[in-house]
Amino acid sequence: MACAEFEEQLLEYAELANGERARVDAHAAHCSNCREFLEALRAVDSQLTAQLAGLELTPAFAPAVRRRVRLEGSAPRPTAVPELLDFVGWGAIVALLGLLAWWLVPLAHISNTKPDISFNASYAAAGVFFLAALWIGIRSFADLKH
Amino acid sequence: MEPEILACLDQKRYQEAFDRLLPEFQNKVFRLAYAMLGDAALAEDMAQEVFIRIWKALPGFRGQSALSTWIYAIARNTCLTALKKGAGKRERSLEEPTVARAPEEAGVPPARHAEIDVLRFLDQLPERHRQVLRLYYMEERSYEEVARLLEWPMGTVKTYLHRARKELAEAVARSKMEKGTA
Repeated sequence: MACAEFEEQLLEYAELANGERARVDAHAAHCSNCREFLEALRAVDSQLTAQLAGLELTPAFAPAVRRRVRLEGSAPRPTAVPELLDFVGWGAIVALLGLLAWWLVPLAHISNTKPDISFNASYAAAGVFFLAALWIGIRSFADLKH
Repeated sequence: MEPEILACLDQKRYQEAFDRLLPEFQNKVFRLAYAMLGDAALAEDMAQEVFIRIWKALPGFRGQSALSTWIYAIARNTCLTALKKGAGKRERSLEEPTVARAPEEAGVPPARHAEIDVLRFLDQLPERHRQVLRLYYMEERSYEEVARLLEWPMGTVKTYLHRARKELAEAVARSKMEKGTA
């Protein structure tokens, strides 16, 4: 196991500046644990680079995908569902904001008595909340599908 | 290339957009799938599945994110679904007939500690450590590319990589010591 003080530098050895690398080299020269750790790290890097770097598909892959796409049928038709959902959702938000504004500023300059929120307004607010929630749910589902 | 693909999408020329994005992203998608599944043949099947999904979803792409981000998200979701169904449990050799080595890698010198099979130790690491390690070496040791493909914060990528490389190096050092004392 490498010395705790040098472990981070050993893991970042390739990116170290010259001065820092010289300090690590000087330490590793007389610390067998750090030297072994560095050698093992180099073995890991060189083996995994040799085995994994630049891994690519064969040229047969793209024609195979195109064949499958042809089997899937013609180009898919565009859908207006996201735009419609956006419209419904923004409409619901604007309605909600309007309702809140109407409730919080209830024509105070006309009447001195502060009106309570009416029975009908409660239903309207509930409806707006429901629509907003529905919109968010459907949009999330549409995003997941995509 | 991405602006040209986006221009095709704007004009609803989906076939052309797909024909352009396939060669552009196929290897990235394959490497991401391989990193997540650890099985070259399965990763190729998954890459095919990813591109079929991309084809079907192309009209729904609204440009809320970069095209590459959208494609990698589809790739990750497809692989995660496969993992949940139990795919990728079986590790295979990299020498699959369907997988080619990049030409520039053909001349890579043999590892100095060729007698120690690092891939064997890789299989013993936690899944996320394996994923990030595979991608790190496949993507020419670029932290940024690993973070972009997995959509993880850079700090998370670095932390996982440090832990994983440390564990591997310690396992290799132990194995070497055991061989020396045997």
